[in-house]
Amino acid sequence: SVNACNPCLDAAKACNLNAVCKRQRSAYVSACSRSTPITLSSEPCSRKRCHRALRQFFERVQNDLSYPLLFCSCRDKACAERRRQTIVPACSFEEKMKPNCLELRRICRSDALCRSRLADFHMNCQTTPHSITSCPNDNYHGCLVSYVGLIGSDVTPNYVDANHANITISPWCSCRGSGNQETECEAFLRDFRENACLRNAIQAFGYGADAGFLP
Amino acid sequence: KRTKRAKKGTKPCSLTDKQMTVSQLGLGYISDEIILFRYCSGKCVAGRRNYDLALAKLKGQRFLTRENMKRARHSPCCRPTEYEEITFLDNHSQYHTIQEVSALKCACV
Repeated sequence: SVNACNPCLDAAKACNLNAVCKRQRSAYVSACSRSTPITLSSEPCSRKRCHRALRQFFERVQNDLSYPLLFCSCRDKACAERRRQTIVPACSFEEKMKPNCLELRRICRSDALCRSRLADFHMNCQTTPHSITSCPNDNYHGCLVSYVGLIGSDVTPNYVDANHANITISPWCSCRGSGNQETECEAFLRDFRENACLRNAIQAFGYGADAGFLP
Repeated sequence: KRTKRAKKGTKPCSLTDKQMTVSQLGLGYISDEIILFRYCSGKCVAGRRNYDLALAKLKGQRFLTRENMKRARHSPCCRPTEYEEITFLDNHSQYHTIQEVSALKCACV
């Protein structure tokens, strides 16, 4: 079964052919799959170990191998599903319960690394009406780097489904139970779900359009 | 005087690789992901021990029964001494890690 056009499959191949990428990918998949004796049997994996391994993957593997796994441009569901599976979402992303987004943000802000990564994301992926790309300084690359910086943190974002035509990104949270802070919560969530800068940056990646916007 | 064929076949035992899909490995996993399958191949002439020389002599002089002769190898084999795992996503969105699929080091054993 030869796959005609699946850029995400090409990205996996490129990673498999590189010793560092192959080893690091194997490391995070194993960290995100194996259930350790310490964790309860109901938990499929150790989320903490999985997040740490994901952060290491993106730190240690060169961007031209790691980014295509995450931002490959898809024309069908199989490709989009592979893209969604990149971070092993069953362990790194999904949980039984969806916490409130502001509660998630509060947890993130209590951690120095997460706080700074989230601030970077808000700064570099902030939709701006005054630029062609909707990104600050038309810097797609800056937005993607900030997005990747959040992977393995408490606000790990991911594709919410395998829809190839319409990308939706979100952290694993909702705004139910926000009380009087509903507006603030919705605004926080919109920065992921309805972010024109982020969406354009991801869509442009596969076509090499990001190259012109390096800082 | 050595023939061309003899010269050609003297590549020593070493690691070789081939790009193939996980499905093509024939291990029952269905995945279009392409991996690098490494294997050992090459001659082990230089690595012959006294054991091999003595056994070869033994076989040449027909000291052994025909059945035993066939099964007794009088030269080392080029085989992996260390293996590597492979990790991939299958076509049903499941990750797998399979141990000892690919060779990492080769030796004449």
